[in-house]
Amino acid sequence: MNNLYRQRLSSHLKEMFKYLRLVFNDHFVFALLIFIGGLGYAYSNGLKELQPNLWWAKPVIVVVLLLVLQLGRFATLFQDADVVFLLPKEAEVRQYLRGARTYSEGLAVVYELFGMFVLLPFVQVTDAMSVFDLALIAVAQLLMKDSLFSLAIIRRFQVKAAWLKESFWFKWAVPLVILLVSVYGLPVIGTVLALVLAVSLRVADRRYDAVPFDWWQAITLENNRMMGVYRFFNLFTNVPMLKGVAKRRHYLDWLLNIVKITPRNTYLYLYSHGIVRSGEFSGLYTRLTILGMILLYFVRGTWLPVALAVLFLYLIGFQLIPFYWQFDDIVFTHLYPIAEKQRVNSFRRLMFSLTGITACLFLVMVVIANQDWQVGLIALVVEGVEVVLMVQYYLPLRLKKKK
Amino acid sequence: MTLQVMKVVGGYSQIPVLKEVSFDVQDGELVGLIGLNGAGKSTTINHIIGLLTPFKGEIKINGLTLNEDKNAYKKQIAYIPETPILYQELTLKEHLEMTMMAYSLDRDKAWKKANHLLSIFRLDNKLDWFPANFSKGMKQKVMIVCAFITDAPLFIIDEPFLGLDPLAVHDLLDLIDEQKAKGASVLMSTHVLDTAEKYCDRFVLLHDGTVKTEGTLPELRKALPDAGESLDDIYMSMTRADQHE
Repeated sequence: MNNLYRQRLSSHLKEMFKYLRLVFNDHFVFALLIFIGGLGYAYSNGLKELQPNLWWAKPVIVVVLLLVLQLGRFATLFQDADVVFLLPKEAEVRQYLRGARTYSEGLAVVYELFGMFVLLPFVQVTDAMSVFDLALIAVAQLLMKDSLFSLAIIRRFQVKAAWLKESFWFKWAVPLVILLVSVYGLPVIGTVLALVLAVSLRVADRRYDAVPFDWWQAITLENNRMMGVYRFFNLFTNVPMLKGVAKRRHYLDWLLNIVKITPRNTYLYLYSHGIVRSGEFSGLYTRLTILGMILLYFVRGTWLPVALAVLFLYLIGFQLIPFYWQFDDIVFTHLYPIAEKQRVNSFRRLMFSLTGITACLFLVMVVIANQDWQVGLIALVVEGVEVVLMVQYYLPLRLKKKK
Repeated sequence: MTLQVMKVVGGYSQIPVLKEVSFDVQDGELVGLIGLNGAGKSTTINHIIGLLTPFKGEIKINGLTLNEDKNAYKKQIAYIPETPILYQELTLKEHLEMTMMAYSLDRDKAWKKANHLLSIFRLDNKLDWFPANFSKGMKQKVMIVCAFITDAPLFIIDEPFLGLDPLAVHDLLDLIDEQKAKGASVLMSTHVLDTAEKYCDRFVLLHDGTVKTEGTLPELRKALPDAGESLDDIYMSMTRADQHE
């Protein structure tokens, strides 16, 4: 079982690096370096303005430490099929979890140390704590993180005591008290309290040795964690693993009701429901539209805003086209007695509406930013032409190519 | 004559899985398509519903091939797949709406039928559910309801009995009887031989991509006199004989 975790970890890391490479492509790294540089510069400038004994300094320290404490989750790397295939190996699950803990906690310690390292200059400027006290607080922080991992393990067993599984108390309330004691009172007491917490949760975990493992819970928690990771990567690149869950979104029903229920609209009905209910394409569309609007708000000039609007409209239209094939793996999409031409027409209407809405929003932003009706007029004409070109000519071309 | 499969050679890639498969399904008839895993049942069905094109041979539904008129051909088929497949973003109600739109059904009449079917399968209070919340059996029932609200003259049902509760199996068989009485034809592939024996009018025994035998149960018994009485016996002896060859 120990080997199993190691195997999974290596393939997991391989996958993560694959995505990280996609996220940190050349342009993004460049932008990120500038961003981080700017942030560091702003931070150091901000520190110069501060004086010791500010009333809000200590609360900020406590809140930041509390938030940093939440970083770093328990990566068990369990998979759906484990409930069947590892069931007979239940006795060795402890060993597996030990491997998982070593990796997860190691990573978490790095996060904690980094967080505290960033916070350190702020503490030194605002609060005259001795090095010894700072070290004690750091130790308390790490001990609390350790206790959270014990708790994470306990939560994955069929432990009856509900209060042990209640994450609010151990994740937020108790650490808050310890941090308050450390920062406002005596750091030594905070550290002792953290030590007691860490030791008692480790003892508690040991004592639950005979309790059966909760496979469903463990797998669900791991799936949720991976979902979060994938969702993060999905902001930058396409993640095939991310099977979006359909959301009802009652508040958008009025939009769906625009589509009249006639045979001609069969695919429009399908596409419109698909775009409204699933996260993947609608998220992409909304993100790009909002990003474009924000950029257009800050851009002045005659042609620059128009060029930017054209670029973003093209990006949105371009990214929407694969949605045409979204339902192709469902056999009924091919069985419906409806001509392919009508399907194309339906998709054209959907794309026309979506890009049209974006074009209007962009236009509004251009006018607001520039306060010039001439620029607005140019944007209107150019965007209009672009939408028509994209929907009437570019889309059919792309659809034909795929065949 | 509703469905005619004539000397169909076909498969997924260049290598044919089906080797000159021929059989037919008459109006008002339930034909059982029987065969081992990999015998070519699903391939046959995929050819009939038009997902695959035969390399050679022809498939006609009421005299019409897929190439003559795609939409008219497809409109004649109601299909229930082996593994239920639903649109993740559509609720049960919206699946029914989709089917009504796609097959140009009269909405009032279709909804009347749908409500009746939904209450039979105890789905009438789940109209706003998403497929993610359905069990496998429930999904299968949704497929059945969608298929049976169409007035298609040909029903293609791929292994309907696994995953359905006994009550639902009986309800499905009743529905099939009802459609047969109206003159529709049904082609059903299954492994549940004792149920097939009781309800099917005729059988097509597929083996290794060819039709081994076809006919009613008495005809099969006559063809293989030493095999035994039940469909199960006949089928077992046939496949065993084949393995000894």
